[in-house]
Amino acid sequence: MPNIVVLVKQVPDTYSERKLSEGDHTLDRDFADAVLDEINERAIEEALQIKEAHDGEVTVLCVGPDRATDAIRKGLSMGADKAIHVLDDALHGSDLLQTAKVLAAAIRTVEDVDLVIAGNEASDGAGGAVPAVVAELLGYPQLTHAREVTVDGTTVKVTRETEDGLTHLEASLPAVVSVGEKINEPRYPSFKGIMAAKKKPVETVDIADLGVDAGDVGLANAWSTVVEAAPKPPREAGQRVEDDGDGGVKIAEYLVGQKLI
Amino acid sequence: MNTFTESEERQALRAAVADLGRRYGGEWFQRKARGGEKTTELWTEAGKLGYLGVNVPEEYGGGGGTIGDLAAVCEELSAAGCGLLLMVVSPAICATIITRFGTDEQKQAWLPRFADGSLRMAFAITEPDAGSNAHKLTTTARRDGDDWVLNGRKVFISGVDEAAAVLVVGRTEDARTGRLKPALFIVPTDAPGFEYQPIEMDIVSPDKQFMLFLDDVRLPADALVGSQDAALMQLFAGLNPERIMAASFAVGMGRYALDRAVAYAGDRSVWSTPIGAHQGIAHPLAVAKIELELAKLMTQKAAALYDSGDDAGAGESANMAKYAAAEASIKAVDAAVQAHGGNGLTAEYGMGALVAASRVNRIAPVSREMILNFVAQNTLGLPKSY
Repeated sequence: MPNIVVLVKQVPDTYSERKLSEGDHTLDRDFADAVLDEINERAIEEALQIKEAHDGEVTVLCVGPDRATDAIRKGLSMGADKAIHVLDDALHGSDLLQTAKVLAAAIRTVEDVDLVIAGNEASDGAGGAVPAVVAELLGYPQLTHAREVTVDGTTVKVTRETEDGLTHLEASLPAVVSVGEKINEPRYPSFKGIMAAKKKPVETVDIADLGVDAGDVGLANAWSTVVEAAPKPPREAGQRVEDDGDGGVKIAEYLVGQKLI
Repeated sequence: MNTFTESEERQALRAAVADLGRRYGGEWFQRKARGGEKTTELWTEAGKLGYLGVNVPEEYGGGGGTIGDLAAVCEELSAAGCGLLLMVVSPAICATIITRFGTDEQKQAWLPRFADGSLRMAFAITEPDAGSNAHKLTTTARRDGDDWVLNGRKVFISGVDEAAAVLVVGRTEDARTGRLKPALFIVPTDAPGFEYQPIEMDIVSPDKQFMLFLDDVRLPADALVGSQDAALMQLFAGLNPERIMAASFAVGMGRYALDRAVAYAGDRSVWSTPIGAHQGIAHPLAVAKIELELAKLMTQKAAALYDSGDDAGAGESANMAKYAAAEASIKAVDAAVQAHGGNGLTAEYGMGALVAASRVNRIAPVSREMILNFVAQNTLGLPKSY
């Protein structure tokens, strides 16, 4: 009966325009719609599938501001059992090392964790290092970029997929697994799931509850700093190829011209 | 005073349904319709997630929610370009009537399948010679032993080819007075003597319209919904949800057209700025937005009244909401077509198909004129003309 913690993050919707604040180059949270990161939905889905096969319990863990509650509720409405929300103004502007530290501290408050599941990288920061750092801090094995996860007794097996190919990993529990895009198709919350979500327990904690020093977190103490930011240049107009029966040839010529073929 | 924001759960439901709808979308919907195919995948998936059975009581496997919840589902799918017309009929009218008036056996037999969407039930009231005049319905049920024998014709009945059964509004003869009074029957679509033929429509929709022919359709005693005396109540119970759902369907359609138009007007540029900067384009879209919001608000009011048990209050609001939503959807589609210019009538942009589809909203399930009659007579107290 694995006890699973899923790391979730609320991010600006990739459908909307995303922007950094003028002042401190942190994410302008008011600018874009905030949603549960899609890769986290896949992480939750994987946890739920493991739970459905082996029983157990799924806890979603989120570090984020007040409105991250919506992302947490979505996780609960998909079927997670409970949630921990680390909510503290001092965390504003924390980088991934600091965030990982807070996450690790929060995971330590959950008794008998067998598995920590995360997305391999968030769609906003795209650092892709949090799962590894959390694993390191907890002293757990890390099985990253999973496209398949199997739990068998006290071991977890993962098919890891990267540009270099497939790797088959095996570790004993407890462990940290991060999942990639191909792991599964996340379920939509059912109506009953939505109605049940409100009644599920969400434990809100601040960094003092976790024994994290305020001097170790936040923008002022971050290990990395955004020095400058510029909006993405507008896309240039594409080249239109009219097909007068020789469209294929023209496309091939274009690709040759771009040294793509 | 109530609040004007929906509950967290209702908002979460909308978000979840919108996500599902986005995965299918308007292009998929119109491709299916033009190819003569159905939208069964979406119906089945939405059903499994409990979205089509939100209003069915929990004891029968439903969501235990309200018509307001069901209307939110209907609107969001419609706003994604893939509205499910049979939601207006199957869960809203039929499941409501069976829930409120059915016998225990009927509830056991039908409601679990409304709950998960595995059943679709059509609804047949309109007749060729009766139109909106329910007093002239001629479909008649005759008692023969324990059985009922139905005879009659129905027209403009949606989705019969996708339905396992049809809830037919007929009339029975009062044994004492000889007068005809309405009665509702559940008729399986494979019952002997029951035939249906499609009506060719100039509407791009996967859901077809049918004529029904009932010739000596023999039904068991339990085909009659509830008791013979409650039929008028049953009809009213079903028709308010129908209007609320039709309004939601129309609001969603208008939202879909408006979203597409806004995206197009914000992107298309023929002079120095996108065409959406020109007030000739922007203002009609702003008007459409305002009128859709007003219609939506009235729809929410109607649903809230209905769900609080105020059938009479809901009747007036539901009619007004249906009127407002139809008009707003037609206007939104018109503005959207115009904003698209020539592209507004290409198959690629899918706006042209909405012209006829939105026009239906003014006619069905109750015409604009009958709503105006209702408001004139019932709300304003003006004399009847018919």
